[in-house]
Amino acid sequence: MARLDTTRTSAHQLRPFSSSQNLLNRADGSAQFDFGGSSVLCSVVGPAEVKLRDEKLNKATLEVIVRPLVGLPGVKDKACERAIRETLEPIVISALHPRTLVQIVVQTMKDNGSILSTALNAAIMALLDAGIPLNSIIGSVTCIIDSKTNEILLDPTTEEIARAKSTHVFVFDNKSSIPSSTSASMDVDISNDDDGSPRPLFSESTGLFTEEEYLECVNISFKACQAVHGFIRTAVSKKIEKEHQQTQA
Amino acid sequence: MKDTEPSKNEREFLLEALREGARIDGRKFYDFRTLRISFGSDYGAVEVQLGNTRILAKVSCEVIRPYADKPTEGFLSFSTEISPMASTVFEAGRQTDEEVLVSRMIEKAMRRSRALDTEGLCIIAGEKVWSIRVDIHFLDHDGNLADAACIAAITALMHFRRPDVTVVGEEVTVHPIEQRNPVPLSIHHIPISVTFALFDKGERMVVDPTYLEEQIMEGDLALTLNVHKEICALSKAGGMPLELEKVVQCSKIAAVKVQEITEQIEAALAADKKKR
Repeated sequence: MARLDTTRTSAHQLRPFSSSQNLLNRADGSAQFDFGGSSVLCSVVGPAEVKLRDEKLNKATLEVIVRPLVGLPGVKDKACERAIRETLEPIVISALHPRTLVQIVVQTMKDNGSILSTALNAAIMALLDAGIPLNSIIGSVTCIIDSKTNEILLDPTTEEIARAKSTHVFVFDNKSSIPSSTSASMDVDISNDDDGSPRPLFSESTGLFTEEEYLECVNISFKACQAVHGFIRTAVSKKIEKEHQQTQA
Repeated sequence: MKDTEPSKNEREFLLEALREGARIDGRKFYDFRTLRISFGSDYGAVEVQLGNTRILAKVSCEVIRPYADKPTEGFLSFSTEISPMASTVFEAGRQTDEEVLVSRMIEKAMRRSRALDTEGLCIIAGEKVWSIRVDIHFLDHDGNLADAACIAAITALMHFRRPDVTVVGEEVTVHPIEQRNPVPLSIHHIPISVTFALFDKGERMVVDPTYLEEQIMEGDLALTLNVHKEICALSKAGGMPLELEKVVQCSKIAAVKVQEITEQIEAALAADKKKR
């Protein structure tokens, strides 16, 4: 079945992703993550001084600020902030830095669908860049169920989302599976079923769908997230290698 | 979060270097930092890097009803909220003095100088006009936000294309970009802002100050000019008093800088047009 996004041939194909870390000078860590035509820039500051009213005695406070590309931040952006904050709270080992603030600022640079997933991936890479202690790495993908074909499409564009009967965003951490850094294939292989059962860290669905459809979405997204994990791993190790070479020289 | 003041050593070193005719990043007094302009896939999305200062400008448009007293005037608005991404000094939802100054600067340079032909945005007088919105996102702050924002805003406006419209009687059809070639905005002139940081009671002036220079400077002078050597805005907001001759000297330097920057913007736009 042909997709609305003609650059892709398969329903379970992700758009080519790319990332770059350490772009900004004033922030402690930053990263840009692209899913094809969607791009999000994320900056992290921390552990830093916290406002008295946000101070937590036993752990660091996590603050997330989402800024839209056009217009002032609205309800949708607040919902995004909350989703990102609540997904990252169990990932960041905040007990190591009590009475401090970890501030994450998310800025959409280009919007062509799957923005929340792109933002979550950018945020985790920025946290890695800032050297904030984490207990695992997360990866996120979005999928939709097409209203006409009832097909599950991974990493939809804005055009495809407009035709969806339901939209699902998933986040998985890399604890339930160890991705191989060699999995460079964009096409997700569903037949391979021997690496653990999917345990979603975050799941947000809107629209009408059946239980079977949901479970299928979970499975497909889980596989796709492993490709994202693999990518993040390779990107980070490449960066560290490069930095190491520079310090040697 | 409060900002850390530069140390006494940093301050003395910078001032002493200036007295010997050098800037700490190796630039000459009247040099801009390297300007990089890159365009997004959409029309009207521009990322500008001035040294380490980084700004993203995005232009968008919508059709709205004009004011009753100005039935043929379109709208041009700027959003210049500085996000904490640029620097932790800025808090979300709270304006700092610097932000007010930058937003006033843009407003004066672009809107009050009539850089954009707002009458050309009219579709049906008294009924429908275009409203053009420029969102300026400050991503990284290494001084001179105003000049970088000004370059980003005008480049984005020049790059932007609005959907074509046809009017038959009272019926207005807006053609999506895919169906019909979108139209560029009509721009009267290109205002470019040049900021001078003043040291030693105006004895020494540098163009395009970095963040450290901004923290140490005794005052600043911001001039907005176009290639026709017309001053669109001039701002000397406090700081130490400046001799009149210095203002004239600054405007002469600024005129040269404006010429250079305008050429760079036009070259970047032409290169992008070729690619599309």
